[in-house]
Amino acid sequence: MSEGHSSSYDRLKSKKSLAEILDVAIEFERTARDFYTDLIPKVSKQIRYLVEELAEEEQRHFDLFTELKNRPDLEKQVQTLVEIPASDKKFSDAIHLPELGDRPDDQSVLQYALGREHAAMEQYHALAESTGDGPIKELFQFLANEETEHKNQLEKVYYETIHSGGV
Amino acid sequence: MSKPIDDAKLSKQNVTIEHEEAGSILSPLKALQFFMRKPVTVPLEPRPAADNYRGFHLNDHEKCIGCSSCQKVCDNAAITMVKVPHLPEDPINGVRNLRPAIDYGRCCWCALCVDICPTSAISLSREYVHTCTQEEIDSYFILPDETGIHGEYYGEGWQKTNDSDLLDLNRQPMAELEAEERIDNFNEIVAGYTDQQAVIEASRCVQCGMCHDACPTHMDAPEYIRSIWQGNLEDAVRWIYQSNPFSHVCGRVCTHRCEDACSIGRRGEPVSIRWLKRYAMDSVDHERIKQIAAEGKADYLSGKQIAIIGAGPAGLTTAYDLVRKGHQVTVFEARKEAGGMPRYGIPEYRLPYDMLDQDIDVITSMGVKIQTGIQVGKDITMAQLEADYDAVVLAIGLHLGRSTRVPGADHKQVRKAIDLLRRTTDDEAYEIPQKAVVIGGGNVAMDIARTLARQQQQQFGQVQVTVTALEEMSNFLADPVEIKECREEGIEIYDARGPQACIIKNNKLIGLKTWKVRSIFDEQGRFAPEYDEQDEQIHAADMVIEAIGQMSDNNLLGDDLTEALEWQRGRLSIDGQGRTSVDWLWAAGDCVNGPDVVHAIADGHRVAASIDEWLNQQ
Amino acid sequence: MRPENYEAQRQPPSNEYELNFGPNHPGIEGNYALKVKLHGDIVLEAKADGGYLHRGFEKLMEQRLWIQNIALVPRICVPDPSPMELCYSMAVEELCGLKVPQRAQWLRVMQLELSRIAAHLFTFGGHAATTGMYSTMYWGVADRDLLLDLFEEFTGGRVYSIYNIPGGVRRELPEGFLQRLTETLDYIESRLPDYDNLFFKNQVFVKRAKGTGVMSREQALEWGVTGPNLRATGLAFDVRRDDPYLVYDQLAFDIPVEESGDAWARTLVRRKELMESIRILRQVVEILPDIHGPIRAPIPNPLAWNVPAGETYTRVESSKGELCYYVVSNGGPKPYRVHVRGPSSMHAVQVLEKMSVGSRIEDIAQTMFSLDACPPEVDR
Repeated sequence: MSEGHSSSYDRLKSKKSLAEILDVAIEFERTARDFYTDLIPKVSKQIRYLVEELAEEEQRHFDLFTELKNRPDLEKQVQTLVEIPASDKKFSDAIHLPELGDRPDDQSVLQYALGREHAAMEQYHALAESTGDGPIKELFQFLANEETEHKNQLEKVYYETIHSGGV
Repeated sequence: MSKPIDDAKLSKQNVTIEHEEAGSILSPLKALQFFMRKPVTVPLEPRPAADNYRGFHLNDHEKCIGCSSCQKVCDNAAITMVKVPHLPEDPINGVRNLRPAIDYGRCCWCALCVDICPTSAISLSREYVHTCTQEEIDSYFILPDETGIHGEYYGEGWQKTNDSDLLDLNRQPMAELEAEERIDNFNEIVAGYTDQQAVIEASRCVQCGMCHDACPTHMDAPEYIRSIWQGNLEDAVRWIYQSNPFSHVCGRVCTHRCEDACSIGRRGEPVSIRWLKRYAMDSVDHERIKQIAAEGKADYLSGKQIAIIGAGPAGLTTAYDLVRKGHQVTVFEARKEAGGMPRYGIPEYRLPYDMLDQDIDVITSMGVKIQTGIQVGKDITMAQLEADYDAVVLAIGLHLGRSTRVPGADHKQVRKAIDLLRRTTDDEAYEIPQKAVVIGGGNVAMDIARTLARQQQQQFGQVQVTVTALEEMSNFLADPVEIKECREEGIEIYDARGPQACIIKNNKLIGLKTWKVRSIFDEQGRFAPEYDEQDEQIHAADMVIEAIGQMSDNNLLGDDLTEALEWQRGRLSIDGQGRTSVDWLWAAGDCVNGPDVVHAIADGHRVAASIDEWLNQQ
Repeated sequence: MRPENYEAQRQPPSNEYELNFGPNHPGIEGNYALKVKLHGDIVLEAKADGGYLHRGFEKLMEQRLWIQNIALVPRICVPDPSPMELCYSMAVEELCGLKVPQRAQWLRVMQLELSRIAAHLFTFGGHAATTGMYSTMYWGVADRDLLLDLFEEFTGGRVYSIYNIPGGVRRELPEGFLQRLTETLDYIESRLPDYDNLFFKNQVFVKRAKGTGVMSREQALEWGVTGPNLRATGLAFDVRRDDPYLVYDQLAFDIPVEESGDAWARTLVRRKELMESIRILRQVVEILPDIHGPIRAPIPNPLAWNVPAGETYTRVESSKGELCYYVVSNGGPKPYRVHVRGPSSMHAVQVLEKMSVGSRIEDIAQTMFSLDACPPEVDR
């Protein structure tokens, strides 16, 4: 478990500037990407596609969020302070990297990824809820949608893999 | 027939004939009165025809499936089926992009095409005028659509009615054991058709061949049904063995895509193709079946050796085909007996194992060698197989059960359905639970629930089995018949229940906690379960059985081979012929294509053909 | 090799000559011909020629599924197709042991009698035309059209109704049909006096028809004559009464006979039969609403229908006489052999050939029409 994670968790608990929130989000995606990337050589080749896809997806989010933060039209607003909703236990759980063992199977990886996407989705939803109308709310809604979309994809994979089509 | 003619009746009758005297010579002139009447004039426009009129054809292209029954019944060979490329071609659902085109130089407007049409797509209109000049003489050959032959709708004329329908929409009933007769034993439930029933059922077929197209292994169902109807059962078996060496099995437990595609099923009950196959197989003597199966077997040996891992339908079908082509085949089976999932996954009340034995006996009688109790990866390695054989086929099925991994799922009384079914087949004792809860809504869930119900009845005199499934009843993955029979046997089924935890008190399993599933798929049809946490239930149990999904045990491949092979989303990557990325290894059956016995057989044929082709090239 | 180098061989002088009467002749019924040898106007010898248009029905039937033949058989007799369908269907029903529901039997009677009226109107028209009275022909054909309207309404086809199917009939009656049937019957009945004035009592016709084409009852029986032609010799024989089929034994009707056996008597019998058919139809209108139930017995899938092996002979009274089907099945999906014994093959071949001899050439047409022969039925 890296240092960066506990500190970002602490920061999320209080009232923060938008810039800070985006930093945490970017960090969140980066650590996840690294986590999955580390898993690639460890898992059996049979399920390697799963962690590869997850790593790719996180990379995509990482790029997207970084780009958002650097967008000139948001520059003025990044210092706005945002009310952080009551700490979300699930989100914090997700930020802690789990012990999946040396050779995790597809189901463990999927369950972890699902939990993590779910927590992120709820967190961004809550942030959007507690923010007044405007570009910042839209930004959070956008983030929430991104995570929801990814979670839906993963759930489909989970159903197809684990509930193998009506045996 | 004819009665003797009564003499009295033959005598002439004295009917008064008012015309005896011819009328006056002037009487014809009385017709002159008609000059005073208003003349009858008929308008030049075509007169509207009667509601029943048999005019030019209408054909609802959406409804029409291109089965060509109209063509077959046509008295004058006026109908030609033509390909209409922009229409859907969907063999799985029994739809072809053929539509009837009609030669109005031949059509006699008898409307038999309407009366036989399985879909009731075709009808006759009230349109009756069609002319053309010399140059357009070909315009008598027309593809009608729902507006008619000139694109101008004149209204429906002769349509199919219940009175005129020429098809029998009801199948012959199948005799089955009642719930109380079957609940304490594993006797086969379905009795099979009698001779008379089989002939009547076979006569319902219109020979459209939708079944053939939909069947994964493309069985010649129209041909064997026709043979059954003609009473030539050996011929039926001959047609069956063209494409399926597991017909005792498929005649009982096939997923019958054929019946789903059957055109009679559009408005009625599809032809019982599966039971007819079973009837033909059961009616012909086993030794005779062996002779029929051996017809056309190569009378030479190619000298090539093939190893097949797994003696299930896929592996043994591959073996059967290869042996017929003169190759030598050894099948390695890890379990005590050959048969694969039909033996170790399907309970005997659905498939008596001696019928499976007969199928396997036909295959071994052809020269296939089966070594049981040999675990590849342990008793013999893949590397050895590669060295000793010209080709290797992986047909290992899906023998590992998936777990929900909800909290408590690692308790020892939480079992996998596939393990219990295997133990039941192998007569390995396990403690029968008094109260069992099954997680899963597929056929395996039903199999284990009904197996446990029988064992409970035998041991405790009562059934206490509960099935919980994520899916709603309308989306159940299990066969509707299975669900119906489950209920008859006293098994409770709870649909739309999501397992949350196995409840354990003092180290003892006491039940399963479920939440109501509000919805299981989102608008795009993706899996996205939403639970109603308020609607919580505890299903009491001293055993929870997970029957949610299965996977193949690929550990036998070893790390090096696993790395060397290409994979496609968790499954071995194969080409269209079933060959893996390693040139000596093919894969077939459930382990690459998912669970389905008839698919496995189709795979077996494909792989055998590919191997044979490859060996011949060498 | 030029002909002028040879001596011409002359025929011995003779006033006998040969004529082809038909097949393209306004006085011949359908596609049919008589080769006649004449001395002046007097026929010395006549040879019937069935032509080449309608032939091979029996053979065609062996090539078709049992059910497909219902679309073929009506074509054997165009003016009166309904008895063809019925007789064939009865044969198949008998071979299969099919029991035809009551309602279907009543509907069949209705169809047959309508067909008889239509056929007779057609024949009168033709017959009148042979004596130059075209108005009668126009009337007959126009009034027949009203019956065809009824056929169109309840069978879907004006001429070839293809209404029967082994086991029963193909359609229920449309709403209000019996009312329209009654109206049409009333109209036809009201027209009969007009026909009488214009044709049946017309001295031109009576003088020409009386004494033309005479046969005795003995001759008729010897030549296999049936139907109105037989009844015109004084023998009251009608299959409907003497070997009842369908529900004819439950219907009241008389069998008109005439004594003289000539063209006049034959025409008169038909004229009287019109009234009897109307009478039968009125009874059907009365009774049919009380007969309920199915209109067809269940039959097998027509594409997989093996009729049990066996043979049968069915007969019905068509407008032209006794129509019979001899059907043999070898247990297969198609008939093994079908023989159609239509009345016209007797009437138009042996009877017409014999009757023509000694008559004047202009009477051939009248004789043929008074026999009401139907050429496709000859060369079936």
